[in-house]
Amino acid sequence: MSGSEIIFYAFAALALGSAIATVTRKNPVVAAVWLVATFFAVAVNFVLLSATFLAVLQVLVYAGAMMVLFVFVIMVLDVDETGAAESRRPSRVGRLGYSLGLLLSAGLVIWVLVATLSKQFVTTGVPIDPATDFGSADSVGRVLFTDYLFAFEAISLLLLAAVIGAVVVARSRREREKHAAAYGMTPEAMAAHDLTHPEAHEEMVDGPIPQTDFGVPSAGGHGGGN
Amino acid sequence: MIPITHFLYLAFGLFVIGLLGVLLRRNVLIVLMSVELMLNAANIVLVAFSRMHANLDGQVLAMFTIAVAAAEAAVGLAIVVSIFRSRTGTDIDDLSLLRD
Repeated sequence: MSGSEIIFYAFAALALGSAIATVTRKNPVVAAVWLVATFFAVAVNFVLLSATFLAVLQVLVYAGAMMVLFVFVIMVLDVDETGAAESRRPSRVGRLGYSLGLLLSAGLVIWVLVATLSKQFVTTGVPIDPATDFGSADSVGRVLFTDYLFAFEAISLLLLAAVIGAVVVARSRREREKHAAAYGMTPEAMAAHDLTHPEAHEEMVDGPIPQTDFGVPSAGGHGGGN
Repeated sequence: MIPITHFLYLAFGLFVIGLLGVLLRRNVLIVLMSVELMLNAANIVLVAFSRMHANLDGQVLAMFTIAVAAAEAAVGLAIVVSIFRSRTGTDIDDLSLLRD
């Protein structure tokens, strides 16, 4: 057994073991640490596949940035670490998920094992020997900035949209009201728009019934539409 | 020389573990982590075939997958934070409404 084979089997076992640990831990912080171990093992496999630049990206983006994001959110949320949610009796949808998940996974396992062990659908090819700089930042960059230039620009737009979306989705109600005040909206107007303040709607029912555009009196609600 | 099928078995194992995590776990944070596992498994397949054909397209595609996974994690965690503020819980069975 050559050195690269020993490394592959060791890190493949590490990847699978820590992946199992990730999905079975009750505490999300522990699961996140196991996920980092999985990402490192996968990065080692990328190196074995002579994708060195991608391995660096994997460690930087996944094990670095994304894990920091996960751990940060876990710390902010003060989540339940005892796993009480898991031990509760599952709902009907949850039970459907359990049976469907086991069925789907078992089907996938059987399908892949049959397909690979019978060799009926698989013709094993001989890997082509790549160039010496295969997978380096130089060669990958050449492909990325010529053939995939449009996709690269589109990805930058996607990341911008994701950042803006994340900021908009995650801000609190206090910040939303502060922003609305900055744009000249009064608290009353905010309440009329805000469905989470039921008392704002109750006082509107007492007022004159507003006419809608269809000529039918609307039964309370938004005070003549928005 | 490691045969390419062994890389595919590894990717397949990771994918099934991630799939089981998504479908069986109820903590929404661990569900998101399982999604990352599945994306990583897809990346291994892309890179393995890229190596086999000595063609860099697979690696570039894997790079795009990493970027999309980062965007997905950012938006997903923002939604988790938003849900947690209004509902105090990370159990996905409790989350059945699109409004707060």
